[in-house]
Amino acid sequence: MEFKIALAGNPNTGKTTLFNALTGSNQFVGNWPGVTVEKKEGKLMGHPDVIIQDLPGIYSLSPYTLEEVVSRTYLVKERPDAILNIVDGTNLERNLYLSTQLAELGIPMVMAVNMMDMVRKNGDIINIDKLSQRMGCQVIEISARTGEGINEAADLAAKVAKHQQVMVAKHSFDGPVEHALAHIEEATQGMLPAHQERWYVIKLFERDEKVRDALKLPQSVIDHIDGDIEAVEQEMDDDAESIITNERYKYISSIIDECNIKKSKGKLTTSDKIDKIVTNRWLALPIFAAIMFLVYYVSVTTIGTDATDWVNDTLFGEMLIPAADDLMDSMEVADWLHGLIVDGIISGVGAVLGFVPQMVVLFIFLAFLEACGYMARIAFILDRAFRKFGLSGKSFIPMLIGSGCGVPGIMASRTIENESDRRMTIMTTTMIPCSAKMPIIALIAGAYFGGEWWVAPSAYFVGIFSIIISGIILKKTKLFAGDPAPFVMELPPYHMPTLGNIARSVWERSSSFIKKAGTVILLSTILVWFLSSFGWDDGAFTMLDEDALNESILAFIGSKVAWIFAPLGWGDWKAAVAAFTGLIAKENLVGTFGILYGLADAAEDGEEFWGTFAQDFSVLSAYSFLMFNLLCAPCVAAMGAIKREMNNGRWTLIAIGYQCGFAYCMALMFYQFSSFISTGTFTLGTAAACVVLAIMIYLLFRPAPKYNGEIQIKDAADVTE
Amino acid sequence: MGTFIVGLVLFLIVAAVIRKMYKDHKAGKSSCGGNCGNCGLCRGKK
Repeated sequence: MEFKIALAGNPNTGKTTLFNALTGSNQFVGNWPGVTVEKKEGKLMGHPDVIIQDLPGIYSLSPYTLEEVVSRTYLVKERPDAILNIVDGTNLERNLYLSTQLAELGIPMVMAVNMMDMVRKNGDIINIDKLSQRMGCQVIEISARTGEGINEAADLAAKVAKHQQVMVAKHSFDGPVEHALAHIEEATQGMLPAHQERWYVIKLFERDEKVRDALKLPQSVIDHIDGDIEAVEQEMDDDAESIITNERYKYISSIIDECNIKKSKGKLTTSDKIDKIVTNRWLALPIFAAIMFLVYYVSVTTIGTDATDWVNDTLFGEMLIPAADDLMDSMEVADWLHGLIVDGIISGVGAVLGFVPQMVVLFIFLAFLEACGYMARIAFILDRAFRKFGLSGKSFIPMLIGSGCGVPGIMASRTIENESDRRMTIMTTTMIPCSAKMPIIALIAGAYFGGEWWVAPSAYFVGIFSIIISGIILKKTKLFAGDPAPFVMELPPYHMPTLGNIARSVWERSSSFIKKAGTVILLSTILVWFLSSFGWDDGAFTMLDEDALNESILAFIGSKVAWIFAPLGWGDWKAAVAAFTGLIAKENLVGTFGILYGLADAAEDGEEFWGTFAQDFSVLSAYSFLMFNLLCAPCVAAMGAIKREMNNGRWTLIAIGYQCGFAYCMALMFYQFSSFISTGTFTLGTAAACVVLAIMIYLLFRPAPKYNGEIQIKDAADVTE
Repeated sequence: MGTFIVGLVLFLIVAAVIRKMYKDHKAGKSSCGGNCGNCGLCRGKK
C-alpha cells in the first residue's frame, strides 16, 4: 500500500529544497516566492511505499490565486495520508496562519520548522515542545538547506501517515463564533465529508462560494446558516471572513508569545540592511544595471570567451574535425557522407557546443542570483520603476524565469490574474534573452566587435528596453487597457546558496543545452547541410561543389525571402536562412552559420571560425541582425507555450505577429539611423525608419483610452474558459 | 564498405534521436534548452 505525504507551507519556505533532498529529485529551486506552480511528486528515498507531493506555496486555503486552488483542491479532494507542514522558523507568526487551517482538515500532520540554522544564527529561540502542545501535532526542527533533521521529519510524517493519527485542531474561536459553528455543524449533519467537518463548517461560516457550490446544500439549510452568520456579524460588527481571520491571528499571537523569543525583535536583520542599499530608491536601478552588466560581461567577454575560443578553434578546428577527416579518408567513405558528417553535423553541432563554456559561466551567475534572493528584489525594483509606465511587477517574474528559458517563463504567466496583463506578459517575456540566445550574442560579440565589453550586456538591456516600450504601446491599445494589477511580493531573506544547489542548477541547464544540441540541432544540421549541398547544376539535380553554395536549394529559398531583410542591413540569403532556422531553436542559427560559413573549412585553412564568418556583415548590420533575432518570434517550443497559454489561435497569431513586427521595426530603426549617422547619406530606408519612428512616438505618447472593465472581463472569459 | 558502416551508424543515431524526441514529446517534456527538463510547468501541460 502506498502512502502519500504532502509538503505544504507558505511560499519560499524551502519545500522544494526539502522535496529534492527527500526524493533525490532535481526540481528547480529558487529563492523567490512562486517557483512551484503545480504539484510534483517523488518517492521518499528508502521508503518505496511513501510518495512525497510538493505543493505550490500558499498563504492560506482561500481560493484567491491559482496556487491556492491547486493546493486546496488536492488537500481537500484527494486527501493525502499526511501533511508535512513546512514552516519558516524565521517568520513563524505569518506561517502559522496556514498551519491553523491545515490542522482543521483532519489530515494527520507533522510540522517541520525549517531554517533553524538561520533562527539560531539570529539568536532567536523557538520552544518546540510548547509549539507542539499548542498546535496539537508533532513538531520537529529542520534545515532543508543543510539537511539537518529532514530524514527524521520524513520518518515522522511516514509514521503518522501509516498510523492515520487524525489531526484535531487545538484552537477554538470566540464564544459567538463557536456557537454559530456548532449551529452550522448541526444543520449540515451527514452532509459533510467525514473528518473534515471542522474545515467545511468554518468555510461555510466564511461564505466560501466554492465550498457552498461543491456541497450542493439545500436552500433551506443555506438560509438557516446565513441567519446564524448574520447574527454573529451583527454581534461582532464585522464580516464573517474578517472575524475568522482576526480570531486566527489572536490565537497565533498567543502561540508566538509563548513559543517564540526573538532576540532581534525591532532590530534590522542583515537582509534588511542589505535591502536598504540594494532596493534604495536611487541606488536600486544603477545597482541592478551594474550587476546584470557584470553577469553578461564576465560570461560572454572574459572567462567564457577564452574557453569558447579553445573549444571552437582548438578542440573542433584542430582536433575533432581533422580527426574525423582522417577517419573518413581511411575508411574510404563516400564524399557525400563525408561532407554530411564533417561539414554538416560536426560543423553545425560543433558551432553550437563551442559556446557551452560561456553558457556555464552565465548559468553559475544566474543560479547564484536566484538562490541568494536577489532575483526577487529585481521584480520589486522594476515594479517600482515601471509602474509609472503602466506595467506591473508581476510581469517580471515570468521574465526573470525567461532569462533561463522562454517556455517556463511564458508558463509562469499563469500566476497573473489580470487577463490583459497576462497576455501582455506572454507577448513580451521572450524579449529577455534566454540561454539559447546566448550563443548568438556571443557569436556577434566575438566575430564583429572583437569581444567589446558592452555588446553582451547591451543585448540584455535591449530586451528590457523593448519590454518597456512594448508595455507602454500595448497598454494604450483597447486590447490591453486598464490599470496594472497590484503587485505584492514577499522579499525572502538573503542567504548564501549552497554549492550543491548551484551545481544542480548549472548542471540541469547545461545538460539540457547539450542534449538539445544532440537532438534538435543535430537533425536540423542534417537538413541544412542537405539543402545547402544539393541543387541544380546545368539543369540537373546534383550534389554541388563547395564553391557552388549559391546554387543550392537553400540559397534558392533564402534568396526569395532575403529582400525582406535588406532594409535591416542583412539582405544576404545566408542570414535570412539562419534567422528562419533559429525558429526551430535559437541556437540553430549558430549551427546554420557553422555549416554555411564552414567551421570545417576554417579548420582546414587554419583560420578562426569567427574570422571567416565576419566577412558578410558590417558592424551595424551584425548588431541589427542580433537585435532582430533577440526580439522576434521565439523558438517553436516557446511558440507552442504561447499557444497553450493564450488558449486561442487568434491571440497566438497576434503575439507572434507583434513580436516579429516589433523586432523588424527596432532593427530597421537601429540600422538605418546608425547608417545615416555614420555615412551621412539619406536613403529610402532612412525615410522608412523615420516613418516607423514617428508612428512609434505617436503610440508611446498618445493618451490612453478609457478603460472599460466590462469589455476586459468578457474578453478574458472568452479566451481562458 | 566504409560508407555502409558509417551510414548505418549515422542512421542508428538519427533514429535514436527521433525516438527519444518522440518519447519526450509524448511524456510532455519540453524540448527547450533551459532548466525545464525537470520543470513541473513544462511537464504539467494543461
